[in-house]
Amino acid sequence: MPSPAPTLAIDAREVAKTFRSGWFRPRLTDALRGVTLQVPRGAIVGLLGPNGAGKTTFLSILATLLIPDRGTARVLGLDVVRDSMALRRRLNMASGRPSFLWSLRVSEIIAFYGRLYGLSGVALRVRVDKLIEQYELKPYRRVPYSELSTGLKQRVALAKSLVNDPELLFLDEPTLGLDPDVSVRVRAHIAALRRERGMTIVLTTHYMREAEELCDEVAFIKAGRILDAGTPEALKRRIGLGDVIALRLEPAPPAWLGEAPGVLRCATADGWTKCTVDDAEKRLPDLLRQLFADGVTVRNVRVREPELEEVFVELAR
Amino acid sequence: MSWRADLLAVWAVVVRNALMASRNVFFFFELLFWPIVGVISIGLMTRFLGITPAQASFVLIGTIALSVVNVCQLEVAYAVLMDVWSKSIKHQFLAPIGIRHLTVGSWLVGMVRGGTLFTLLAVLAWCAFDFRVLAAGPRGVAVFLFGCFLNAWIVGVFVCALITLFGNRAEAFAWASVNLVLVLAGIYYPVSLLPAPAAALARAIPLTYFLDAYRSHFGFASEFAAPIATGLALSVVYAVVAHLAFYAAVQRARRTGLLLKMSE
Repeated sequence: MPSPAPTLAIDAREVAKTFRSGWFRPRLTDALRGVTLQVPRGAIVGLLGPNGAGKTTFLSILATLLIPDRGTARVLGLDVVRDSMALRRRLNMASGRPSFLWSLRVSEIIAFYGRLYGLSGVALRVRVDKLIEQYELKPYRRVPYSELSTGLKQRVALAKSLVNDPELLFLDEPTLGLDPDVSVRVRAHIAALRRERGMTIVLTTHYMREAEELCDEVAFIKAGRILDAGTPEALKRRIGLGDVIALRLEPAPPAWLGEAPGVLRCATADGWTKCTVDDAEKRLPDLLRQLFADGVTVRNVRVREPELEEVFVELAR
Repeated sequence: MSWRADLLAVWAVVVRNALMASRNVFFFFELLFWPIVGVISIGLMTRFLGITPAQASFVLIGTIALSVVNVCQLEVAYAVLMDVWSKSIKHQFLAPIGIRHLTVGSWLVGMVRGGTLFTLLAVLAWCAFDFRVLAAGPRGVAVFLFGCFLNAWIVGVFVCALITLFGNRAEAFAWASVNLVLVLAGIYYPVSLLPAPAAALARAIPLTYFLDAYRSHFGFASEFAAPIATGLALSVVYAVVAHLAFYAAVQRARRTGLLLKMSE
């Protein structure tokens, strides 16, 4: 196999994984059916999809926690199966449902994993203190893990995932179940990791808005297959959902509106006429001019791009 | 992996196990309550039965060995068990450490606990039943203890392998397996009393030889030609096999996804 381009943090090709459950009549579940994905270094990439789509399975293979049945995956230029030990030093992972040894205190958990990654003495103390400071865990550093709230546990997981200063970070549903204000802070931390350290981050999420806010690229995954991948803008363009121009008109919308150039469809509900157009910036001035010429009063206008959620619904059809 | 990184990984496990042990009342019962109850009840039974002091020492040596091996073996099993209980095992295997770090780190803590327990039981046996554990001399005691620890390590690593292979369902092995080994190794009786097939199995257990060697210091004729050498040789073989089994179990858990199922 040719060596991967140095600009790629992840180069996964046709990765497949089937789980077997039961001893006598094993039930087979195809979790991944040939996933191919390339992630550039320094990018934040989101894996989006419903429950059971294969997001966590794929992430776990890339993080060397699972061995794929077929396909190849090179992460940071190393093979996830053959070079797993060397790779583990350079990556880390946090999940949205974190769990650590219940009676260890916050600082002890971070220090334990720090030692596993080769830190000791002053370097370990400095790193632990810095992470505790960074994730606002100082008041809880001597609190046992079992006594922390969900949000605090999440922060401990994030702090632990940075203990080895990884080049590549996997975040599995990092804001799952968090209060909105905590989610905002977690997202800000994630964005800062890339901005300040140039870290490559791959995250899975249900929340399309989160992906839109954080990710340079997203990949939609469903039933173990990547449906499409690219920048959110490119995906929207590719799917051709168009922009939505919502108008409050008086009197009722004229009949020609639905057939005007560039208008893909029109519907009226709750006093709003929503026209999906190929390009709002291009079509809006013409529409307003014609409506004015017809004596129609435009009381309000709202323009919005399609959301990732709509792109996903379209792809999943 | 460098020596420094190796030592740090082992030290990480030592610190973790020691911290967990210091905060769990369950560990206190393991370390003190049950072993002390065992020695007192067995010691009193020897008095009730009116057996000779030599026979009583034979039985008490077995009781002490049982407690020491049990405590040390459980500590080794905790290398995996504690993470299985707290559903955090994937973080352990996400880090760049090998199974040797887990088993050696846990074993070191197990030896400290086993050594402490041995000392306590030795004092108790001396005060309550006039049985002098140290009569075997420092070398005899050291070899015996080391043999107990080696056996505990081997059984503990096998238990880790079973838990990694079968998940929580195999937890019972952590408590049951060592007792089976101890029964076969002849804790309260000479292995010559066992039926032929069981005696053959007993000869395959390293602890049998270490018990035999230790008891020889108390006037019991040795049943084997070179018990210490045989016990050590068998221990080396089993330690290698146990670690290979644990490694294979971890690899299988990575293939089947059990590692993830046991986490979070």
